[in-house]
Amino acid sequence: MKKLLTWALLVAAGALVLLFFSNDFGLIDIQKTAIVAAIGIDASAEQEGQWSVTAQIAVPDSGAGKASNVTIPAAETVGAGIAEVNRKTGWYPTLVHCRLILLGEEVAKEDVFEVLGYFLRSEYVEDSCLVAVCAGTAQETLGAASPVGELTALAITKVLSSEAQKTGLVCVTNLQNFAKGYYSRAKSGYLPLLSLKKEAEGEGASGGGSSGGEQGGGQSGEKKTADVFDASETVLFYKGKRAAVLSPAETLAFNLAVTATDFAFGEVQAEENGAPATYSLKMKVTKKARSLSLKEDTPVLTFHIRANAQVADTSGASALDAVARKAIVPEPVLRAAERELEKQLTAVLEKAAESGCDLFGMKQALLRSRPQDYDALAPTLLQTARAVYDIRFGTLH
Amino acid sequence: MDKLKLRQICFLFAAVLPAAKLLIYPSTLSYYAKNDLLLSAALNFLLEGAVIALVMLLAQKTRGTFFSLLQNTFGQAAARAVYLLLALFLLASAVLPMLEQKNFVTQVLYENVPSVLSFIPFFAVCAFACTKGLKALGRIADIALPVFAVSVAVLLLLAAPHADLGALQPPGAAGARGIFTGTLFSLPWYTECLFPLLLLGHFDHERGAAWKVLLSFAAGAGAVLLFLALFYGIFAELTILTQYPLAHIAKYTTVFTTLGRADFLFIFAVALVCIFCLCIPLQLCVHCVREAFPSVPPAAPAVAVSAVLLILSVLLNYSFNAVQTLCMRYAFPAYLLFAYALPALSLLLHKTPPQAKARQNGRRRKKNSEAAALRQARRREKRRSKELL
Repeated sequence: MKKLLTWALLVAAGALVLLFFSNDFGLIDIQKTAIVAAIGIDASAEQEGQWSVTAQIAVPDSGAGKASNVTIPAAETVGAGIAEVNRKTGWYPTLVHCRLILLGEEVAKEDVFEVLGYFLRSEYVEDSCLVAVCAGTAQETLGAASPVGELTALAITKVLSSEAQKTGLVCVTNLQNFAKGYYSRAKSGYLPLLSLKKEAEGEGASGGGSSGGEQGGGQSGEKKTADVFDASETVLFYKGKRAAVLSPAETLAFNLAVTATDFAFGEVQAEENGAPATYSLKMKVTKKARSLSLKEDTPVLTFHIRANAQVADTSGASALDAVARKAIVPEPVLRAAERELEKQLTAVLEKAAESGCDLFGMKQALLRSRPQDYDALAPTLLQTARAVYDIRFGTLH
Repeated sequence: MDKLKLRQICFLFAAVLPAAKLLIYPSTLSYYAKNDLLLSAALNFLLEGAVIALVMLLAQKTRGTFFSLLQNTFGQAAARAVYLLLALFLLASAVLPMLEQKNFVTQVLYENVPSVLSFIPFFAVCAFACTKGLKALGRIADIALPVFAVSVAVLLLLAAPHADLGALQPPGAAGARGIFTGTLFSLPWYTECLFPLLLLGHFDHERGAAWKVLLSFAAGAGAVLLFLALFYGIFAELTILTQYPLAHIAKYTTVFTTLGRADFLFIFAVALVCIFCLCIPLQLCVHCVREAFPSVPPAAPAVAVSAVLLILSVLLNYSFNAVQTLCMRYAFPAYLLFAYALPALSLLLHKTPPQAKARQNGRRRKKNSEAAALRQARRREKRRSKELL
């Protein structure tokens, strides 16, 4: 009897372990699954007040690396649009691998959290997925021919990668950081502005798009013009709406002063042998900090930036010893770089103040350091704050 | 036979019981206490620490069990009634953590929501652990310490670079109401101060035992507070959206973008400790039943407790929010009574049984009367010697 009980227990334990670790009963047939790599959202052209939802799908059953775009032209909500992808195509869309949310230009004119709310509610979308605004429509952008592989989303995520952020060319934001800004007291945030440039030529480039729930696959193996993406501009948001756009130079300055950029390239106009010349500098940021203080009731935002620079190139032909001594940047060029950064940061501050976007987190800093003054100072803080620059450029050894 | 080492009790407080506070508790607390969640949690820990200190003080004064203390004071019937009530409380208090754990496993560890049956193995493990008595509890503690310490340390180290601890400023922003509401509604996650009372008499008392237990408790509390700080530092205003921070706190590490979610190895390990942690109140529940009725074989209450929980897990599969609201908002008097008032008041119980007390009193009376007779005899002798003089 005891032996029988032991055997029964062992068999039951084995069955339960199998059930617990395999979850074979919960799996969904891969052939019927649509792995969504990116979601694009536009204002619907068919129905006012509705959304057009484009899902870029990595198709698992049609060979390696094929992509297909499915567009739902009009849906009341983003959730309804994604559900319709399943209804119209028979594919069950899984968003676990969605790494990019692309918002059309028109969407950014209204509160973008009308559409982003779905992704915050969904347990399956990672909040680390990238968010960007595109010039034109998201459907067009996702339908562009990718210069690398089949998936356009993959090419875009490369442009918006953390490596791109480190070089200061792009202001990368993910859903979590953008939502944190929106739900903070400042209600501010920024997103990269993605624009399509039909420039590159590549092999195996593809593009595919269809609407009304039909899917279109790309072709590969033929030589054709591919599209490239540029995200050097940055859109500022206030209360979820597009408020201003930073130029590439302003984006670089903002990155150097605030974000995780520590190695960047920039151009500086200076004089060489009495003639104007353009210097391309390789910059390594060694320190970046900013502090908010009150001086005679006036808020003062101080930037402390230290960077080392190296000459990457000049517009004119240089003497041999100047080429050899690339690590030593002439003093006038270093001072010009400091002035340039200061000028661009001033422009960024002006744009932020005009648009109401608390890009430098001044309201947050005020709340944390002087909560008692917050209510009195916060409403006009962006307009009244005076900027002080403590910027020093040295040579890169 | 059913004895634990003091070391194992220390390990329970340092590395097993804190695990239960890393699932849904942080986001629930941040809903009420916002950026003051550390203050709110610290209050809970202080309250619990005070109760544990009182129980350890009681442990210094008696070698008996809590059941024997009740028996000495109110008699066996009352002691049995209190133990049955305690068993019921322990079973009821395990329902919310069980549903929490089940949801964590099914929502976080599976890509698609699996069948309710996927959590059934837990009840088998639980029934087995409950039949093994308090000795199993000690072994759980021994196994869990290295697993918990390594896993939580790795997760915290991975999370730390992404946390902006400035988000916890300014202190007091949630107001006294927010902080105290957070403390009060967090009581379902702070019931472990009852456990040493039930372990009374089941561990060998050592010198400095109270300090060792309290320091272990402080270490566990420190780990939870650090976790809460990093959690708020990373998610700030979005903390209430992050239902299970344990699964998300370390995912922003850049290395995982190429390696995949390697942090899940450590999340699995903490989930394992959570399973052990969930077994503890149920093991103590079975222990209470067996203390009250020693003739009952351990398998009967163990299977009954696991079966009740299994049925509840199926019935309440879609009612987690209702159970959570009930436990937090309406059941806090029960938590205060059983987990806080009862251990604190147990100091007033009689430490010796009535017969022994009567015997002691009899001996004392006899001693006193002998001393009085001796005194009288001496006085008489003195008087006689005076008369003779």
